[in-house]
Amino acid sequence: MRISKGALLVVIAFTAPLIVELRTVLAWVNVELTVLESAVLGIGLIGVLLVWALWPQSQNNATESAETE
Amino acid sequence: MNIHTYEKLWLVAAMVLIVGFIATITYGSVALGITMVGDQQETVEPTELNDERFSDPRVAQVGENEYEAYVTAQMFSFQPDPIEVPEDSEVTFYVTSRDVIHSFSLVGTNVNTMVIPGEVAEMTVEFDEPEEYGVVCNEYCGPNHHNMEGMVHVVPEEEFDLTELDAEAPDEVETGDDIDVTATVENRLLDPLETTVALEIGNETFSEDVTIDGGETYETTFAIDSTQLGEGDHDWAVTVGDHTDSSTVTVVDELEDDADGETNENTDEDADGDENGTEDETGTDATENDASGGDDE
Amino acid sequence: MTNTYIESFPAEAKVVRAAFYSSFLALAIGGLFGIVQTLHRTGYYRFMDSADYYTVLTAHGVLLAITFTIFFLVGVFTWAVTTSLDRPVEDIRFTWVWYGLMVVGTVLTAIPIFAGFTDSEMSASVLFTFYAPLQGHPLFYFGLVLFVVGTWLAGADWFRSWWAWKQEHPDERIPLPTFMVLTTTLMWYIATLGVAAAILLFLLPWSLGLVESVNPLLTRTLFWFFGHPVVYFWLMPAYMMWYIMLPKISGGKLFSDPLARVVFVLFLILSVPTGIHHQYLDPGIAEGFKFIAMTNTMFLLLPSLLTAFTVVASMEHGARQRGGTGYLGWLKALPWRDPVFAGMALAGLMFAAAGFSGMINAGMNINYLVHNTFWVVGHFHLTVGTAVALTFMAVTYWFLPQVTGKELWSRSVALGQVVLWFVGMTFMSNAMHRGGLLGIPRRTAEPQYEGFEFEAAVGSVGELDAQIALGGALLTLSLVLFFANVIGTALNSRSDDLPANEYADTLSGPSDAPLVLDNLKLWTAIAIVLVIFAYSFPLLSIIERGGLFGPELTELPVSIGPGLEYLSTTTVSTVTTAGETAIAIIAGVGS
Repeated sequence: MRISKGALLVVIAFTAPLIVELRTVLAWVNVELTVLESAVLGIGLIGVLLVWALWPQSQNNATESAETE
Repeated sequence: MNIHTYEKLWLVAAMVLIVGFIATITYGSVALGITMVGDQQETVEPTELNDERFSDPRVAQVGENEYEAYVTAQMFSFQPDPIEVPEDSEVTFYVTSRDVIHSFSLVGTNVNTMVIPGEVAEMTVEFDEPEEYGVVCNEYCGPNHHNMEGMVHVVPEEEFDLTELDAEAPDEVETGDDIDVTATVENRLLDPLETTVALEIGNETFSEDVTIDGGETYETTFAIDSTQLGEGDHDWAVTVGDHTDSSTVTVVDELEDDADGETNENTDEDADGDENGTEDETGTDATENDASGGDDE
Repeated sequence: MTNTYIESFPAEAKVVRAAFYSSFLALAIGGLFGIVQTLHRTGYYRFMDSADYYTVLTAHGVLLAITFTIFFLVGVFTWAVTTSLDRPVEDIRFTWVWYGLMVVGTVLTAIPIFAGFTDSEMSASVLFTFYAPLQGHPLFYFGLVLFVVGTWLAGADWFRSWWAWKQEHPDERIPLPTFMVLTTTLMWYIATLGVAAAILLFLLPWSLGLVESVNPLLTRTLFWFFGHPVVYFWLMPAYMMWYIMLPKISGGKLFSDPLARVVFVLFLILSVPTGIHHQYLDPGIAEGFKFIAMTNTMFLLLPSLLTAFTVVASMEHGARQRGGTGYLGWLKALPWRDPVFAGMALAGLMFAAAGFSGMINAGMNINYLVHNTFWVVGHFHLTVGTAVALTFMAVTYWFLPQVTGKELWSRSVALGQVVLWFVGMTFMSNAMHRGGLLGIPRRTAEPQYEGFEFEAAVGSVGELDAQIALGGALLTLSLVLFFANVIGTALNSRSDDLPANEYADTLSGPSDAPLVLDNLKLWTAIAIVLVIFAYSFPLLSIIERGGLFGPELTELPVSIGPGLEYLSTTTVSTVTTAGETAIAIIAGVGS
């Protein structure tokens, strides 16, 4: 884990406003996303976050696994 | 008191932001002349709106491309509805309420004001292109608040007029008498109106080309021979431009009384009312005629 | 043996607990009504008559904006005063008296509101703003008065504690939490004069039939005299939590005590003379008065911006104490697993967004676009609905063990709850703001019209509705989790292993603050002068124009049920009445 579970949850929560507003922002530059596309994008982003948070378990496993909380 | 350097910077930035906001708005209202809803208008009595503006809510022309709209809001409607104005016009709205607090809000625009009983909201709006705007009441005004809506129609110049048409004819005439259909046409525009007053009755059409000066009223009477139409009910319609007023005239063999149509009608309805005193439906039907008859006396 | 609040102040803990539970009950009912409205408005599920929507809306507004918030904050303030002065209240019976008065007031107000659902004559579906000539049952106004008097007595209780403390500590600075309570209370005293005048002089006598009519613009202006600062009455306790709890929970200290005092003084001075910014669109108030209100409002941004700085700086300090490093890396070191921290941090973040939409509202000219649209609903669901409500819920997870002596039922559920609230509110509030820009009005049961449709620039109105319904559902779920935790905690057994009753230390302490900041008389005097400056001329002008008791009005008790028929057929019935009169005249002539 790169960050604590709690922090991960909060970071995922933060993606909600980003995804919701991304659609509006993109519409300004004439990119119109459908709801489905937005949802897919959101799930994709959350997936990337999860991978980023969970992947590199290589170094200092012992110290890192104790969550920073 | 010691304030951290960053905090000082933040404080200054915050003040700049605040002063900036105030400055832009001041610029808007002073230099650009954007006026807000204020206290320009005198107060009115909401329960008896009988001044010349609100006793007859309407659109009036006050200058070239300049109009005034007198609007009342009441549970749960706006008057007039729709409000019709021409394109490329400057319209000053005067809005007041007959009962509770409403609002007069053109959907999707910044034309928006509270409508408070006793107060008259004044707003000047420039309309460019022909368009249809919805009007909502966005202040809760009672259990049917959500049904309160109106429209503002901005119409092309050539489709716009401020013509008031009122046509009258007797309800019954005796065979052989003339049917007098009187049309009163008011041109509320400032410019003269060239138009045609047309009467359609039975299968026949009578018409008259007229020019009515701005603010003037023109009255004309078509006299139609009832013999030609024959006995029975005949629908008639007077048309001026897009406006139509219509009713039905009955040609009878012989009127029951010797008196003229109107008085006769009155006695008739009175008798009717006595006979059907308990019957609601007929009673309501008769009401309007009765009222006018009563006025005459 | 622990040092919890209930150990130090067992009697006070009971009152605080009672206030919290009263507040949660209001939250439960108000929240339930929230989801009912969400589904009704969006058209997903309409099980009641649309006229009843306004009864639901009245209850939602009053229970959440008044009952939930104020019951919670009197609890917090009582805790803050007793804890920071380290002395019990002077007379616990008096404390129970004001609490009792607030309860009675709430119940009396709720009776006519809820009677709106029945066939009875009684009703008060006048919404939270009760604008005349809409008229509620007298009990509605009377209950509100009792409730407000209860809060006045609560304020007297806190002042009494401070005066007693000052006798014993003549040379000490007012402890920061008490200072915050006292300034907020003073602001509240000034603010409530408006609503007290509106109700006692006009609305209550009018609803009792003692006076014939009221001046709708006057009572409306008096309402907003109170209606804007009441916002700060909700917000100040949340700010207090951000100042004195958040730094501690982040693991550090408050950045600056003096600036915290400056912020609260600014709120005392500037909260009240701004109310007219809710009336930018009102005919009958001169543009100049509106401009003054706008200027004050803009300056009211200052304390909020300062708070944003101090809160973030304190969090960073805490994070660095916990070993955080880097420009942004310190964020990782914050205790995100702690629901108290996560909830408050998310609430603060939402408040930043609310600040932006608030600046739009405050601009006199842009306001025309959004006034009374759904945008405004989106705005205050970020302020009172998140900055305040989410902060209150988050600190509940710290307070509950303090006032019950029991361990929190589940910290994981609590974390899920605050995150869910954030996500739910993101969806709901975003769609509300966007809907407002399309011109969709607030406070309406069916924002679907016959003559026209709202046109969305991006997506569609249907998508916005879906977003609102989704957000509402998530918020409801969040509330369910919250109550599960409250009930679960109440059912827990007493624990000896609880954190002590403490609040944050400061980096720059009260000794750095100029003495003048503690001069409450001075600030109150300035506040009153500003209020007089901002309000005397508008009020005089309104009275001069419309009269003290206004023009003749049609009285409109807003009752649902039989009254509904009366109102919906009002036009028709007028016509029929005229007809009947005419018939009567004719009959008279005929006979």
